[in-house]
Amino acid sequence: MSDKKASGQPPKDSGPDMNRRTLLKAGLATGGAAASAAALSGAAMADSDRLITEIQDWNRYLGDGVQANPYGMPSEFEAHVVRRDVEWLTASTESSINFTPLHELDGILTPNGLCFERHHGGVAEISPADHRLMINGLVDTPLVFTMEDLKRFPRENRIYFLECAANSGMEWRGAQLNGCQYTHGMIHCVMYTGVPLKYLLEEAGVKTTGKWVMPEGADSSAMTRSIPMEKALDDCLVAFKMNGEALRPEQGYPLRLVVPGWEGNMWVKWLRRLEVGDQPWHQREETSKYTDLLASGKARRFTWVMDAKSVVTNPSPQAPITHGKGPLVISGVAWSGNGKITRVDVSIDGGRNWKTARLDGPSLPKAMHRFYLDIDWDGSELLLQSRAMDEEGFFQPTKDELRIARGENSIYHNNGIQTWHVKGDGTVENVEVA
Amino acid sequence: MSKLLKSLSLTAALLSLPVLATSALAEGDAVAGKKVFKKCAACHAVGDGAKNKVGPQLNDIFGRTAGGLDGYKYSKAMIKAGEEGLVWDNETMGTYLKKPRAMIKGTKMAFAGLRKDKDLDNVIAYLATFSAEAPASTPSDDSAAAPAPEKTETAAASKPAPAATASEAGAGKVFGLGRVATHEEVAAWDIDIRPDGAGLPVGSGTVAVGEELFTDQCAVCHGDFGEGVGRWPVLAGGQDTLTEERPEKTIGSYWPYLSTVYDYVRRAMPYGNARSLSDDDVYAITAYLLYLNDLVDDEDFKLSDKNFLEVRLPNEENFIADDRETEAHFASKGEPCMENCTDTPVEITMHALILDVTPGSGDDNAGAGAVD
Repeated sequence: MSDKKASGQPPKDSGPDMNRRTLLKAGLATGGAAASAAALSGAAMADSDRLITEIQDWNRYLGDGVQANPYGMPSEFEAHVVRRDVEWLTASTESSINFTPLHELDGILTPNGLCFERHHGGVAEISPADHRLMINGLVDTPLVFTMEDLKRFPRENRIYFLECAANSGMEWRGAQLNGCQYTHGMIHCVMYTGVPLKYLLEEAGVKTTGKWVMPEGADSSAMTRSIPMEKALDDCLVAFKMNGEALRPEQGYPLRLVVPGWEGNMWVKWLRRLEVGDQPWHQREETSKYTDLLASGKARRFTWVMDAKSVVTNPSPQAPITHGKGPLVISGVAWSGNGKITRVDVSIDGGRNWKTARLDGPSLPKAMHRFYLDIDWDGSELLLQSRAMDEEGFFQPTKDELRIARGENSIYHNNGIQTWHVKGDGTVENVEVA
Repeated sequence: MSKLLKSLSLTAALLSLPVLATSALAEGDAVAGKKVFKKCAACHAVGDGAKNKVGPQLNDIFGRTAGGLDGYKYSKAMIKAGEEGLVWDNETMGTYLKKPRAMIKGTKMAFAGLRKDKDLDNVIAYLATFSAEAPASTPSDDSAAAPAPEKTETAAASKPAPAATASEAGAGKVFGLGRVATHEEVAAWDIDIRPDGAGLPVGSGTVAVGEELFTDQCAVCHGDFGEGVGRWPVLAGGQDTLTEERPEKTIGSYWPYLSTVYDYVRRAMPYGNARSLSDDDVYAITAYLLYLNDLVDDEDFKLSDKNFLEVRLPNEENFIADDRETEAHFASKGEPCMENCTDTPVEITMHALILDVTPGSGDDNAGAGAVD
């Protein structure tokens, strides 16, 4: 699959040309930057827009009726808004990852079909009628639930981000991939509907010696992780809906675990079993993988929390500035596994000076936050950065600070500040600065 | 139908509990209650010098307004209950401990509740020994005067009957949902192995047998010697590379526990044909992986459930707990710099476009830093 936009060049398809015209006119209507508006107004005034002066097909003829699309899909003009993968990252697509197109989204919720995928043995296809959830181990009564049973427990609705611990992992050594979809797209944020895990554990009766819970998936990788009981009883959910509809197959249909604020690998999909034990299991995904190798040769394990992090999604390499000088909306997302984001600062000079951005939309703990900085761009080059701060007082470090503390082979938990180089022509490149 | 049963049982529980709890003074055994309190002690302290833990300390709990202890952060629900007049006495405590969430929806107490009425009586009697105020004080207690002990017993026996019916329909303790898992079912799914050997099946396999199995079933991806084909995981070698520029993280160089090898091969390998190997096959393949990593050197070496714990992987000691918060940039937690944060203007030191490994950019097959 080719992706012209990822090369850092402005899009060549017809859509953006139209956008440019529309935006130029919008600039005029609002007064814009006086000089550029004056320079452009002669040309713009000379010929009227045929899209306005001529009656368009959609204005004359009937469109599709109801039920033309029983399950509605995005407009055909949005066909480029898709998840994308990086072939060289993994050996097979069944144990691989793709990326959420963050630069095409706004607000805080990710549409279900755009949530990045990470599988270790492909997407399991399971009929809900055939799905079972077992609780065993250090419990009074080992239990088996059907999906119908689970939907009779009191349920909750919660919005949480899910970030893979390896998000930005390819950027440890330096700027490598040109687009926030690739550098930061192992994340999504949806509203889950599910049963608090603690209700299920209480139903089975956790013995006093039960200190850890191990969720297990029903897929061909039978994914497992060890979760401390304190977290299991705190805010974990066993979820069956995302954004109001059933989980998508690639997100664990019919049942997944939600472990708010903690690394995505623990959010076991196709959840079929919960074992209670008195110590962790040291499974493959918490020893060989998802441990953070330091320069000393020591490796951190059980690094569960996702740190405060943010990225400017627009402009970014896949979303260059196409409208020229004048009003520019700098937009991005921020999140923290510690709770709410309290502040995001934005720099246009590579971190020398900062301005506090405006947070807009719901601010919920362990959920994505949307920020904006509205500026008047003079067409000069920018070194664009964002820096998130969470309610625990943690703020994002620079990538250099992380490398000094951990070396270059940690792979996971890279929450360093991202820099985009915006050039005079509006194109954008992933760079590192000092 | 089931809904009806449930509401019946709830009503029955609420109606019957005060009667039960009233008997606490008469019936409760503080000594026995001390044992019951072990279930609570993970979160609550009581007695001399008791401090708030996960839950509030319980000295002088009786007579205390719900949510009323200074210095403890209660749930909103508990504070509200206190504002609405809830004071802890044997009656209210009995109802609460039976089913905490049924009484105070939103309480942060994770405890499911005490099932046995005797336990309830006893633990209340035990807690009462740390309260100046007697537990049965506040309410004008109609039932207190009336029932003889046996009568209370009868009420206790008959009232919870609907609850018992509900839990027969299901199996769980609280909502009566689900059913009991059979031994055969648990055995079929509970196949995990821990570093202490818990879960290891009886069986054995030699390096020589493992080599045959590995060549047939594993080498296509992992290579004949565990060197990894293409981007498939490398399983052997890499010793002493963890501090190098390109560390090679293998079973021999990185993995802390052999149990993880057995567990993972058993649950997920061969890739695309999981659960197809016998327990003996997995022992044999695990033995061969030790051989490939020079951790055993005899092809006749036989790995079994008997000698499994004798084998230790060399990197076990090099795993440490999460101490990210000690890193300088995290520990500072101060107000970050907002103006003139660098002495000189910032300059670009590295360009992604020079690497040119982004999909669609031409040479997109040569990136570094794979994730698997």
